[in-house]
Amino acid sequence: MRKYRGDPQGNRERYCGRSHYYCEDPQKSYSYRVKQTREDTVTPPMSEHTYSGSPKTMSVDFKTYVDQACRAAEEFVSIYYETMDKRRRALTRLYLDKATLIWNGNVVTGLDALSKFFEMLPSSEFQVNMLDCQPVHEQATQSQTTVLVVTSGIVKFDGNKQHYFNQNFLLTAQSTPNSTVWKIASDCFRFQDWASS
Amino acid sequence: MGHNSQANTLQRRARCWGIFRRRFPNWSEPVSAAMHISSHQQQDGDLAMSDAHMDSGLRYTPYAIPSHHWRSNLYKQDQTHGNMEREQKPPERRKEGNRQNGTLGSWFKITIPFGIKYEEKWLLNLIQSQCSVPFTPVEFHYEKMQAQFFVENAGIAFALKNISDKIWDEDNEKISVFVTPSEVPYSVRELKSENVEQMKLTMNNQCDASQQALDIQRPPVDPNMTGSSNYGIEEGRWLPSPAYELAGVLDTMPKDLNIESLNVSKNKVKSAGRMDKGKELQPEKMSADKNTLCTTFLDKSNNINSILELFPKLLRLGGQESSIPTLRGIEAHKKLPTCKGSFFGSNILKNLILQFLQQYYLIYDYGDRKSLLGTYHIEACFSLTIPFHPKDPALSSLCEYFKYNRDIKKLKDSYLRRQLLKYTKCDIVDSLSVLPKTRHDLSSFVVDMWFQTETMLCFSVNGVFKEVEGKSHGSVRAFIRTFIAIPGSNSSLCIINDKLFVGDPIPKGNQSTFSIPMATPSSTCMPALSQEQQEMVQAFSVQSGMNLKWSQK
Repeated sequence: MRKYRGDPQGNRERYCGRSHYYCEDPQKSYSYRVKQTREDTVTPPMSEHTYSGSPKTMSVDFKTYVDQACRAAEEFVSIYYETMDKRRRALTRLYLDKATLIWNGNVVTGLDALSKFFEMLPSSEFQVNMLDCQPVHEQATQSQTTVLVVTSGIVKFDGNKQHYFNQNFLLTAQSTPNSTVWKIASDCFRFQDWASS
Repeated sequence: MGHNSQANTLQRRARCWGIFRRRFPNWSEPVSAAMHISSHQQQDGDLAMSDAHMDSGLRYTPYAIPSHHWRSNLYKQDQTHGNMEREQKPPERRKEGNRQNGTLGSWFKITIPFGIKYEEKWLLNLIQSQCSVPFTPVEFHYEKMQAQFFVENAGIAFALKNISDKIWDEDNEKISVFVTPSEVPYSVRELKSENVEQMKLTMNNQCDASQQALDIQRPPVDPNMTGSSNYGIEEGRWLPSPAYELAGVLDTMPKDLNIESLNVSKNKVKSAGRMDKGKELQPEKMSADKNTLCTTFLDKSNNINSILELFPKLLRLGGQESSIPTLRGIEAHKKLPTCKGSFFGSNILKNLILQFLQQYYLIYDYGDRKSLLGTYHIEACFSLTIPFHPKDPALSSLCEYFKYNRDIKKLKDSYLRRQLLKYTKCDIVDSLSVLPKTRHDLSSFVVDMWFQTETMLCFSVNGVFKEVEGKSHGSVRAFIRTFIAIPGSNSSLCIINDKLFVGDPIPKGNQSTFSIPMATPSSTCMPALSQEQQEMVQAFSVQSGMNLKWSQK
């Protein structure tokens, strides 16, 4: 190779682009390295947790839950909306098999229906402006680790005017020895056109 | 000599580009730098021979070329067939080239001929330094002598094309940049949920005439040619007009561009995707039709238009302008589902939830919010979020809420994130007590019951309220409140998560529709559920299979 001009300020990261990886079978994709597939929200494995115990234990555990919930929520939200906008066909991978979506009052249940629904929706451009999350108490979830994620922002569906939207997710954790993958158990989406109500 | 001498192309290799330029600065037709070495192609009489518009058979193909051959002069070959038409490309091509289409989702392959000479980082740095827009190269790789990568944006692709020949390497040789539309790169390939049938319909309307037009314009290319799908890049660098680059792009389309087969192949892949929803599509299926290059998986009608801008010939079918708007119709067929009102799941749940809300807001609006203590679980969570106001929060009309604002999109500090999440019922009701006093408009409520198990119930309430004290007295606010509840004592709902968004309503409606809440306060404590309500809770238990012991706690 002939000599090349030296690179004055190497900033390789800028050009990393996306590495070449293939989309795996979603069933297999849960054997883990972190971020095995683009669509997975993966967090480090969770420690044993319990809400009982001394107040100190409780607060320590709770802090852990809050931190974990925030991490999962942030990562999940960025993946979710990017997938929704750019790789719509992969979106159902983020949902549990029996997940439900309530979309502006329309009920969609199960992966098949979700798949058809998302295919039917025009292409989208989402802009998330607000995000919050809360860990959900194990008493409600029967010890299945769950996070409530709430987003708000603006969406433009192709061929339609822009809308404000609010979206609620219940994310539930599927743990393996190596990591945790979060999936949507339920999803509630609404445009906000308050003034007209 | 002549094209058939290409039978000896094993001895002929691509030339050093700079030498060629210096020797032939006045060549007015695009010429390739290398020659086919496939004997199959050479024997194919169609290949670059018979078409009068074909410049030469010396198409650039990325075959392995030893470096010591680079300097031999390729261009003693027959260059008789200039494409005179190309010289007369309409000048508005330049305009089209300059029009930036910011659409995401359309992929373009960027090719640097002889890019193999350059180290990746250096080359990309150089390109970026001259390129007016930042770009993210995807799948940068070397293919034979070329450097190639993909970008996902027509505007970026145009910007990159425009710097072609405006960058130089260390030997002061110009570096060319070629741009062609491409399929989604393999690494990011996902089929878009396009209505391919409709695209087929609309494109077929142009198909017959366009086939004709395309045949004339394009040199025949051996459909069996393997290797880079980017064969046939024209090296028309000395031509002043970007029109030639476009011509080069057109020339990369195979003679038998078969839109039908494209659609069929796409359809095949699409249905395969549906059938095997649990599996990923096989690569070979996805690239089923190698001839149908220069297509893009389109997910927006804008992408189609931006593609067509690169292929203006498609717009001129037998002298007529085609109508791009036909293709816009693809996306317009996708309608949004109608927005519906509240969803409760069942009448029982509807009654349960509405009664809960009525009682909750009775106290919230008229009573002491501290008496909501009994409504919350001991380890409940509450948080509040308001829209971000970059200006001084004190000036915002929502400033009363600002100190509780928890928005982890903006707030990155872990400590603050934990602090702003109110935990335990005592902390929660204390926080609620200091929020502005309100009157909620129950008639404005739209409720979604969106998750239910035997142990939990999730529902969200959208509505409006009015502030009735303080600085913002009279202001109407819009809110969304999400409750997660478990069966509580006294057959009531016990809140375990409470998430509130408060914002200003979209200023298009009429605030006169705000109605005073109908409920009148009759007591300041949380009333026990009536017999009827208890029965409803029991019904909820039965319906959801919940253990009745919960409700009896």
